[in-house]
Amino acid sequence: MSATDSNAVDYRRLVEDRRVHGSLYTDARVFEDELDRIFRRGWVFVGHDSEIANEGDWVTRRLGREPVIMVRAGDGRVHVLANRCAHRGTMLCWQDRGGGRRSFQCSYHGWVFGLDGRLRSLPGRSGFEGALERLDLARPGQVASYRGFVFANQSGDAGPLDDHLGPAGKALIDRALALSPVGRLAIGAGWVGQRVASNWKMWPESDNDGYHLAIAHASLQKAVPGTQYEAALFSPELDNTSQARDHGRGHVELELRSGYDRELAWLGTTRDKVQAYADALAKAHGREMADRLLWDGPPHALIFPNLFLGEMNLAIIQPVGPDETIHYHTPLLLDGVDEALNRRILRQSEAAMGPASFFLPDDAVIAERMQQGWRVDRATADGWVDLGRGVARERRDGGGDGTGDGAGRVGHVSDETTNRGFWRHYRDVMTGRT
Amino acid sequence: MIGLSAEERAEIEAFVFREARLADEADYAGWEALLTDDMHYWVPFGPAGYEAGARMSYINDNRTRLATRLRQLMTGHRHAQTPPSPMRRIISNLELLERTEREYLVAGNFALYELSAQATRELRLWAGRTTWRLRRTDDGLRLCRKVVELVNASEPQWSLAFII
Repeated sequence: MSATDSNAVDYRRLVEDRRVHGSLYTDARVFEDELDRIFRRGWVFVGHDSEIANEGDWVTRRLGREPVIMVRAGDGRVHVLANRCAHRGTMLCWQDRGGGRRSFQCSYHGWVFGLDGRLRSLPGRSGFEGALERLDLARPGQVASYRGFVFANQSGDAGPLDDHLGPAGKALIDRALALSPVGRLAIGAGWVGQRVASNWKMWPESDNDGYHLAIAHASLQKAVPGTQYEAALFSPELDNTSQARDHGRGHVELELRSGYDRELAWLGTTRDKVQAYADALAKAHGREMADRLLWDGPPHALIFPNLFLGEMNLAIIQPVGPDETIHYHTPLLLDGVDEALNRRILRQSEAAMGPASFFLPDDAVIAERMQQGWRVDRATADGWVDLGRGVARERRDGGGDGTGDGAGRVGHVSDETTNRGFWRHYRDVMTGRT
Repeated sequence: MIGLSAEERAEIEAFVFREARLADEADYAGWEALLTDDMHYWVPFGPAGYEAGARMSYINDNRTRLATRLRQLMTGHRHAQTPPSPMRRIISNLELLERTEREYLVAGNFALYELSAQATRELRLWAGRTTWRLRRTDDGLRLCRKVVELVNASEPQWSLAFII
C-alpha cells in the first residue's frame, strides 16, 4: 500500500473519540487491513495450554484466516505451527483436536514433521537438492504465554507480549485463575461455535456493552427472574453500581463485582451448595481472600482483539469475512476443584453462550441487524455509530486493580466507556501508532 | 417399522408428525403439552457417544430448563425468534429401535428448511437424525426424550433458538 493508494482507508477520519463510521463494519478493504494490522502484526490469543495437557495433544485454530496447530511437544513445550505442509501446503490436521501424536504426516507425499515443526523425513530424499531445513513448518514470528494463555503474532515485530497485555490485562487473567484453588485451569470441554452474519468487531462491543441487557435480553429476564445479572446488569440505571472500564491497549471490562448484591451471584448459587469449593479456596488463599473471591467472581472483559474472558467462559472471536464471524466459547473449568463444581460451570456455560443458549442468539440477531443497517459507503455523511453515552460522567482511572498505567477510564456500567476504549486502541493500531 | 402392529405404527407416526408440525409452527404451548414431566431434550455437540452434562452440548435440557426455554420463547421478546422462523421439516426412514411395555424408542432422519426471518432472511438447511422415546400414558402417547444428532454437529452453528 503506497501513500498514493487512492482507495486507502483513512482511519483517523473514520474513528473519532465519540463516534465511528459504520462502513468500518462492512467495507471489505477495512477487513483486509484488519487481518494485516491486527491479526497478523499484533498479538492474537491462540488457546490455553491446559487444552493440550499431554505430549502429542493438539488443537487447530486460525490466526486471522491462517490455519495453525497448537501442539504439546515431548519436552513439554507448546508450539504453534502453520497447519499446512511445508512442501505443497496440504492441511496436516483437519479436525478440531486430537492426541497421541508423535509427528504430523502429510497425506499427499508423506512428509513427516516433528511436534516442534521440524521436517523429519520424506520419501525420495535424493531428488531434493540443497538444504531442507527451510522446509520445516512455518511458524508465527512470536509465540508467548501468560499463565497458560498462549498468544501468537505472525509478523514477529509486535514487541513483547507483556507490553500488549500490560499490568491490567495480566490482572484480568490473574482474577480468572484465582478462582482455582491451585491457580490453574482445565480447559477441555470443547469449543462450541456460534456463526453470525456480522462483522467481528460487533463482538468485542456486544460482549462488553452494559447498556443493552434490559432490552436485548428482556426475554431472559422475564423468563428467569433473579439471575446473577439482576442486580449487576438489569437493575435500574441509578441503582446499579457496576462499572464499565477501559484499561487501555484495547482491553475493556464490565466490572460486575461492584454491582453484585450477594456472594456467588456469578455462579448462580449459594455457599451451602458449593461448600467444598469455598473451603478449598479458603485453604489456598485464607478465609478473607476466599470470601472476597466468592463475592467478586471472574472478570467480564475483552483482551484485545479476540479473547473474551466471559465470566465462567472463555470465548474466541474469529473473523471469517467482513460479514461473518464465529463466536467460540468453552467453559472456564477449574483445576483443583471437585467434578460437581465443574459440571455446574459447564451447565451455566450451556445456558449463557452458544447457538441455542438463552443469551447469545439474541446478541447474534442484533449484530446481524446492525450488519444490515451499516451497509453504507465510507463517504456517507450521516453513517456514524454514536458511542458518546457517558462521556460526561467518565473518570480517568489507573485500572480496576490499581495496576494500570494511568491510561484507564471508568464509567457507569451502562456507559460506552468500553466501546470507546476498544475503538481508541483500534485507531492506534490501524494508524500505526502502537 | 418392524415389531409394531399396524395400529401402533399409525399411532406413533401420527405422534411424530404432529410433534414436528407443532415445532415447525412455533406452537410452543401445544408442543409442551406433548411432554412428560421427566422430559430430556438433547442436541449433542459432536458425536452423541458421551454422557450429556460431562461435555458441552448445544442443548441439554431437563424439564426445568426446557420450561425456561419455552417460557423465553413465549415472552414475545426472544429476538432470535422474533418473528419465529418459518420452517418445514421432512421426517423419514422411521425405525423402531426398542420397545418395552410402556415405551417405544423410535428413530428417523430429518431435513429441516428454516427461513432466518429475523435479520438475514436466508434459507438454512438443517439435517440429522432424531430419536424419540415415547411413553404410553393415560392421556395417550407422550414424549419423554428427544435427541437430535445434527449431521454437522461438530461445526459452528447459526442460531438454534427454535425447537429442532
